[in-house]
Amino acid sequence: MKRFCFVWLLVILLNVVLGGVVFAEMKNPDTYIYLTISEPDTLDPHFAYDTASGEIINFVYENLIAYRDESVTELVPRLSEAVPSADNGLIKDDGKTYVFPIRKGVKFHNGRDLTPEDVEYSFERGILFDPYAGPMWMLIEAIFNYGSLEDFVADKLGMSWEEMFNEDGSLKSEEYAEKLVSFYRQYIDPAIEVEEDDVVFHLVRPFAPFLSILAQNSNWSAILDKETSIEMGLWDGKAENWWKYHSLKKEESPLYQQTIGTGPFKFLEWDRAQQKVTLVRNEEYWGEKPKLAKVIIWGIDEWSTRRAMLEAGDADQIYAPLQYYDQVKTLPGVKVEEGARITITAMHFNWTVNKESKYIGSGQPDGEGIPLDFFSDVHVRKAFSYAFDYDTFIAEVLKGHGIRIPSVIPRGLLGYNENLPMYPFDLEKAKEEFQKAWNGEVWEKGFKLTLLYNTGNEARQTACEMLKENIESLNPKFKIEVQGVQWPNYLDAYKQGQLPAFVIGWLADYPDPHNFIFTYYHSDGVYGGPQGKLYADFAQTHFNALIEQAIAETDPEKRAALYEEIQKIAYENAVGITFYQPGEIFVMRDWVKGWYLNPMRPGEVNYDSIWKEE
Amino acid sequence: MVFYILRRLLFLPLALFGVSLLVFTMIGFLSPYQRLATFINSPERLKSDNVDKLISFYGLDDPIFIQYFRWMKNVFQGNLGWSYVGKAPVLESILIRFPYTLELAIFSVIPIIFLGVSFGVLSALHHNKFLDHILRIFAVVGWSFPDFVFGLIVLMVFYSTLGWFPPGNLSIWAEEIVKSPAFRHITGMLTFDSLLNGRLDVFWDALRHLLGPVLTLTYVEFAFILRITRSSMLEVLRRDYVRTARAKGLEEKAVIHKHARRNALVPVATVSGQTIVGLLAGTVIVETIFNRTGIGSFMAIAAQQLDYASIMGGTLFFGLILILGNLCVDLSYAFIDPRVRLD
Amino acid sequence: MNRGSKRWFKKFFSNFSAVLGFVLLLFFLGVALFAPYIAPPKPGRDAYMMPIVTWSSDPIPPSREHPFGVAGKRDIFYGVVWGTRTAFRIGIIVTISSTLIGLVIGSIAGYFGHLVDELLMRVTDIFMAVPFLVAALVLATILGAGLDKVIIALIVFSWMYPARLIRGNILQVKEEQFVMAAKALGVSDLVVILRHVLPNSIFPVLIQASMRMGSLVITAAALSFLGLGAPQGYADWGALLNYARNWMLGSQGQALQYWFMTVFPGLAMVLFVLAWNLVGDALRDIFDPRLRV
Repeated sequence: MKRFCFVWLLVILLNVVLGGVVFAEMKNPDTYIYLTISEPDTLDPHFAYDTASGEIINFVYENLIAYRDESVTELVPRLSEAVPSADNGLIKDDGKTYVFPIRKGVKFHNGRDLTPEDVEYSFERGILFDPYAGPMWMLIEAIFNYGSLEDFVADKLGMSWEEMFNEDGSLKSEEYAEKLVSFYRQYIDPAIEVEEDDVVFHLVRPFAPFLSILAQNSNWSAILDKETSIEMGLWDGKAENWWKYHSLKKEESPLYQQTIGTGPFKFLEWDRAQQKVTLVRNEEYWGEKPKLAKVIIWGIDEWSTRRAMLEAGDADQIYAPLQYYDQVKTLPGVKVEEGARITITAMHFNWTVNKESKYIGSGQPDGEGIPLDFFSDVHVRKAFSYAFDYDTFIAEVLKGHGIRIPSVIPRGLLGYNENLPMYPFDLEKAKEEFQKAWNGEVWEKGFKLTLLYNTGNEARQTACEMLKENIESLNPKFKIEVQGVQWPNYLDAYKQGQLPAFVIGWLADYPDPHNFIFTYYHSDGVYGGPQGKLYADFAQTHFNALIEQAIAETDPEKRAALYEEIQKIAYENAVGITFYQPGEIFVMRDWVKGWYLNPMRPGEVNYDSIWKEE
Repeated sequence: MVFYILRRLLFLPLALFGVSLLVFTMIGFLSPYQRLATFINSPERLKSDNVDKLISFYGLDDPIFIQYFRWMKNVFQGNLGWSYVGKAPVLESILIRFPYTLELAIFSVIPIIFLGVSFGVLSALHHNKFLDHILRIFAVVGWSFPDFVFGLIVLMVFYSTLGWFPPGNLSIWAEEIVKSPAFRHITGMLTFDSLLNGRLDVFWDALRHLLGPVLTLTYVEFAFILRITRSSMLEVLRRDYVRTARAKGLEEKAVIHKHARRNALVPVATVSGQTIVGLLAGTVIVETIFNRTGIGSFMAIAAQQLDYASIMGGTLFFGLILILGNLCVDLSYAFIDPRVRLD
Repeated sequence: MNRGSKRWFKKFFSNFSAVLGFVLLLFFLGVALFAPYIAPPKPGRDAYMMPIVTWSSDPIPPSREHPFGVAGKRDIFYGVVWGTRTAFRIGIIVTISSTLIGLVIGSIAGYFGHLVDELLMRVTDIFMAVPFLVAALVLATILGAGLDKVIIALIVFSWMYPARLIRGNILQVKEEQFVMAAKALGVSDLVVILRHVLPNSIFPVLIQASMRMGSLVITAAALSFLGLGAPQGYADWGALLNYARNWMLGSQGQALQYWFMTVFPGLAMVLFVLAWNLVGDALRDIFDPRLRV
């Protein structure tokens, strides 16, 4: 008995000493700690193409214009003194020329003044740099109508990049140098020019979403200080040898881990062992200064740890995937905000699967696999579309945080119309379609295929499993295997065209339907290629011309009508299954005040206007 | 003796070369696209349509032996490559994390040896009696626990119920102190550094964060020491000189303390060395579960993302530790026990 | 206590752990054999895939319908039962294959000696210089999802231990009197090895194999726990524990709310490994000459 008492005493003592009782109080009133799952890829605004990097760059650098609060359509001036429009005369030539009067009295974090030359330099550096798999294609498409700088060069000089350069990046012949210099002088330099206090952009054709590509939150349009950049070793601003600054390795860019912006926060530290970035208030900021003195953005992969730190008051806000909604909604002292970004998740089909594929069984219509062109039959695609239980998915898996949309255009964008036709969840109809598919052969012999998803995304996994369950219930000869693979293997199968169908999401680069329609439907879109040769043929006759017509149209109403037409074609041919436009939850302590979501903002927090108060 | 050490040391570069060849061969099975995944680390980055150019940019489509030679050349220039997981050069990523793992190993090996030896001696003295069986079952159950299961239980009980041993390395307030310029970093190990800086509060905080993983490793690992101690003790107790001592009428306690235990501990010393070396390489799961910085969790992520520069660098580093560590163990064995002949 | 019962007590206990181990093993064997009756799979479906019972990923506590509860949309009871087969499969295939490979390599090294021995042992050293879990992790990622891939990865990095053991035994036995005698009588080396040397090393190899069985199953489960290895939904204890990872801290004030996610698959795993360890332990005690009293 004595011993027993002693043990209890020890437990109580340990509890006191180790501070067992979790008692959350507001710590550090002017420091904000946000726990997330990812770490920035790079801090170079022209390289970064992920939200974790964008989140940092967004508060350290500034763009010419910005969105007003929660809106994605209303723009306000930032480093430009006005937002160009046809009314104020700053958009000219039927939408081909944009003029930005540059703000005066703005200082970079190192004390240098912002000049129009800095603006010109920033855009030209980005375009010439155009790193592989980076975001610069957006500006190149908007201004020059090319997919990448190398395509642009190849087309104008009649020689591909590989023909001009050795593997080590040196020129094969000196004569190419002259050509490249004149390329810069002829095309790049005149496209973005300084005229007194203004910076002028000349586009080769009107491009409706141009201003959204420039707006704050788009890190690729951030403004750098020219002198400092050159001192750091970025492009020297000269026409000669510009190609030496083209596409560096990520870690070789001098801006990989330093910044030179004008934003409300200064970049203090990126602790890469702990995945932690620290920002501090810019005391000399030209606009309204942030209320927070310090911001810590910390990558903690384990959900349990993030939640525990929030409970203890060690974190002010955490990233919470939807599936943990029930865990957080009742936590005392914690509030859960809801919101949605401009993003969708859809499944599209490969109409011509690579014959090397391991995911199509026998590769024959013999019931032990699928033929390579299995999905080129519209009845198969329709059957799949009928077999997904959209409402249950949104209610159970997304916990009600999400909506169903007719096509790949998310709600909130031009051309979105909730009255457009959609396939209901209807297993009877699915059965009918399967019976019609391939002249009844599918129904008779059955099929076997594998749906792959990239591990780590539970919603996508469940979507595949749901399709499997529903389709297998129609006919015992239907076999679908759902397989989760690590990202490297998924990427491999995806790029090699081996996936019979793929579930993939898209997060808006800029809030415009073109960004989605082109991506999924155009044969040159990023997700157009993996849909196979037969799809490309289909898109060329049904989609491409309409998509190109829509982007050059400047009248919003006419544009909207064109996008509706495209969506109707997509519906009739069941080119893809848009599973959902997800909602998100934002989990923070009660003491967080002034939080709001702009759907285009990378990251979850408006550090520049938020504060803490009990 | 010198010859023996020399021979072992000469084997070291050869072994490391072998390890690199082994790992590179495994990586050679990967397609260029699979290796591209290191550079295009999420579906988000598929957004750009010129991802294919990265393959030739990084030479991922070159024959594997060319890539190997390129890697080797860089290694000889002291460049182990860029770690995409560590977001820093590979060597730097490893060296930053190693002290954390070393610290965990040091703190774990103390209770492992203490428990292992004292329970082992007890077990031997109560040979085949009740206590012996209880202790051995207790040990073998621990030995049977996967570290991630026991780790989850420790977190459930000692963190989420009792709030004692939080995961991670440090609390945020302590982190601020450690990050401040006044705090000098000497060993890279938080507990020792905080003591050297005279910050008892930080020391206490770092220790609290260590206790969860230490407890887990202790329970999972101590059985081995117990077993060695027990059998070695049993053997010694039967030896002539112990019998003689007993026959001389020496008190049982004196026999055990003065004669038996000291001799029984010789093999235990070697095994303890092996345990430290094993711990350095065996913290992958525990570091992952307890969200600790260290080379174990680093390697777990690098392996899953196929960050091959980190994998190569990490395995070489582990190889170095294992080989040098085992050499030290063997040498110390020779010093402790003169009967051991090295050859 | 009188002497008789004391002796009985002693005798029982000296075998107790072995008995316990064997009983546990038999139990698991029974579960594996009768899995289709204990947890009947849906007709026409792959029995090794745990059926989905709900679309929400929230765990559901044990109920009559789901005696161990639901984790990751799947019935834990079903997973634990069929996971027994997975555990046996991995353990037995890997142990037997790696022991056979080790047997061959160890015998060659021990038999030929000299340069061959040196070469093979250095190769063994190289394989041992990569930590087992890290090596298995890398290889399993490279090979991709699938139980067969895990098995391959484990075999590739576990043959060294039996190889070393057998080589050591052969070198030792070579020196023994009866082998010397056989050699002196002109019996060929190969026959000596097959007839005299290997049978003498068989027990240490068996003991080692039963001890390794446990650690192999743990490593395979660790891979599943990290999200590698068995495909999603495959009946596997490690995968079930992986589901528990994000829920183990419970909700506010109810820290142990989701205990069933950890406890049932965890218990199965510990008992399974324990069974092999106990058997191995008992075997070792019996055959370790130093401990024979």
